[in-house]
Amino acid sequence: MRCGHDLGDEGDGDGGDGGGAGPPRLRPPENRVSPRAVAHWAIEYLLLWGLAFGLALGVATWVGDSGWDDMPGWLTGRVGWLPYVVGAAGLLMVTVAPVWRYRVHRWEVSADVVYTRTGWFSREWLLVPVSRIQTVDTEQGWIERMLGLATIEVNTASHTGSSEVSGLPVDVATRLAEDLAHRAHDLRDDAT
Amino acid sequence: MNLRDGDAVPDPAPKPVPDSAPEPALEPAPEPVPESAPESVREPGLVPASVSEHAGSPAGSPAGSPVGVTASNGHGDGAVPGGPSDVGHAQRLHPFTFVVGAVRELIALIAAGATGLLVGGMSTAFHFTLVGLAFGLAFHVADWMTFTYVLYGDRIELRRALIGRSVKSIPRDRIRGVDISASPPHRILGLAAVDIDAGADGGEGTLNAVSRHEADRLRRVLLARDAPAPPRRVLARMRRRWYVYAPLSGAYLLTPFALAGSLLGTLYNLGDDLGLITRERVEGVGHDLVGLPTALVVALAILVLIAMPVMSVIVFTLFNWDFTVHERDGSLVAERGLLTRRSVSLERRRLRGVELADNPFERAAGVTRLGALITGLGDAAHRGRLLPAAPRPVAEALAARVVGTVPGPLTRHPPAARGRRVARAVALPLGLAALALVAGQPWVAAGFAAFAGPAVLLGLDRYRQLGHVTDGERLSVRSGSLRRRQVVVEHGAVVGWRIRRTLFQRRLGLATLFAAVGAGEGGYSAADMSEADAVSLAAGITPAWVTPFLEPPPDR
Repeated sequence: MRCGHDLGDEGDGDGGDGGGAGPPRLRPPENRVSPRAVAHWAIEYLLLWGLAFGLALGVATWVGDSGWDDMPGWLTGRVGWLPYVVGAAGLLMVTVAPVWRYRVHRWEVSADVVYTRTGWFSREWLLVPVSRIQTVDTEQGWIERMLGLATIEVNTASHTGSSEVSGLPVDVATRLAEDLAHRAHDLRDDAT
Repeated sequence: MNLRDGDAVPDPAPKPVPDSAPEPALEPAPEPVPESAPESVREPGLVPASVSEHAGSPAGSPAGSPVGVTASNGHGDGAVPGGPSDVGHAQRLHPFTFVVGAVRELIALIAAGATGLLVGGMSTAFHFTLVGLAFGLAFHVADWMTFTYVLYGDRIELRRALIGRSVKSIPRDRIRGVDISASPPHRILGLAAVDIDAGADGGEGTLNAVSRHEADRLRRVLLARDAPAPPRRVLARMRRRWYVYAPLSGAYLLTPFALAGSLLGTLYNLGDDLGLITRERVEGVGHDLVGLPTALVVALAILVLIAMPVMSVIVFTLFNWDFTVHERDGSLVAERGLLTRRSVSLERRRLRGVELADNPFERAAGVTRLGALITGLGDAAHRGRLLPAAPRPVAEALAARVVGTVPGPLTRHPPAARGRRVARAVALPLGLAALALVAGQPWVAAGFAAFAGPAVLLGLDRYRQLGHVTDGERLSVRSGSLRRRQVVVEHGAVVGWRIRRTLFQRRLGLATLFAAVGAGEGGYSAADMSEADAVSLAAGITPAWVTPFLEPPPDR
């Protein structure tokens, strides 16, 4: 917090501005999403990768049975590996990614900024001021409905500046959306 | 939950405060500038143009009409310049509209009729052509008779009653631009076409042909400009010798091929329709081409090579002849074109920044292209153009007059970013080479691998071009090599920040900062900044949003 002040003037440090109070860093947002979000992501990945595995299996047997001559030998010889590769990747995704995501996904709504951190392999920190919010949507897919979760979408005039928090408990999401909508209405300035 | 549409509200403060100061969106109109004041007084100043513009025209206070002043809340402003009698009075397009509309069909039909006459005398085909011609003309006359437009205080309505009735109503406070263009037939008849653009939610409307005078009046009225002779100041104008820069940009180099292609296609279709093209003839031509001596082919190739730049200059000149940017009240107006003269008005209060783009050839020649970043502008790549090709100092001078001085010099990004740029550049050729090797095609692999050399150079240049800077009012970021872009945005135009760090970036201590802007592409990035720089740049521009979330290290 205090180091924010001497960072006030920007862009002068180049890489190693290690002097003084140390480089400024964003602290993680305060709130985690609901633990049930792990289940949500796991089901999503399972469905997606299950489909991919099925397709791979189909392609492998089809190519193996057809016995085309005009296929290059190196391809027919190796197409049998395809389902295994896809299956292994899918297994890894289903087991690792949801937990990893849960550790990364966080959100916080301060007096005038919506601050989120999302992603897993590649992470994104997003700061959207309430005064620039145009619409706030809540959404529930069928998996989310089963688990009692909701996704809240905060839209500004720019796609880059629009954030999405998934995996919130329904009541939290509803309350948050209403609250944000009211405050955005009050604070709105028209910079779009 | 839809809060409110961002564009529905005419924004009374053209220079938004970066901080989130609560500000009533609908403000009563500020004291009107005395309407009788001489134009020179009302002319917007050079840099803070917004101030006088602000006072002059919140949604169109008309000359000498007290109604317009009291009620100018963006919807209810009562009257229209040119007299209240114009309000609600249905108007037709110019009587010559059908001539303009029918000219293209006329040419096609006359050509078809003439060939019909040549081939088959007064055959049935010819009669059909005549009938078609008559129908075409009748349609255009009927269209003209049934199409009217009505100007109201708060909207313009376009009514069409030819087949069924349709009324298109465009709210005047949503109108973002009024483009006037004149094709050669328009020009001969002293007419112009008016395109009304009201963004995504207002739709578009076209008046095919009105008199030039009426076109100017409509633009003035619809963009809420008052006074019959608007003050006009030229900000920039193309010089003759700049047209020679055309071959530097790749797009215009290819135009000869496009032209030749469409010409050949037309000829072929025409010939085919008339039965002139038979299989034997096509084969004959093919044999002739193969039989040509090598010297002739080489000569032809050289001719094409010479023709390419020449043609590109000609085409460029046709499109951009006498490219002029001038300022009129609250708008920037860009005019261009030799045969079809096109003018695009860009509202200043919707301007968020500018973009300077160039490619390596243009860089070598010191040439750049300037474009405007406008909120909610459709077809921005063409319509937002402020200079199609100009020496860099000229483009920067114009940028300075439009948004303010281009900040500089740019801060370079840390050396760790260099490796990432190079790795990303060589990834494609090396990956393809590896695939080819796996597939047992060593020669193909070698071919791909050979591309890795130039790719390294490209990556190095991409790193060299990375940069960011802010001068306290404007943020500028630059990236790209084959198409390098430097974007300058006002701090107030930033609507959010996004910082992205992949696993690789985290290991190198790098981060990509996106400034979200509600104009242009919606966001502009400074790739691979040092993490601390990214955060402090954002914190410096909008301290109120970022500093509450800062903490002393360590983060994770």
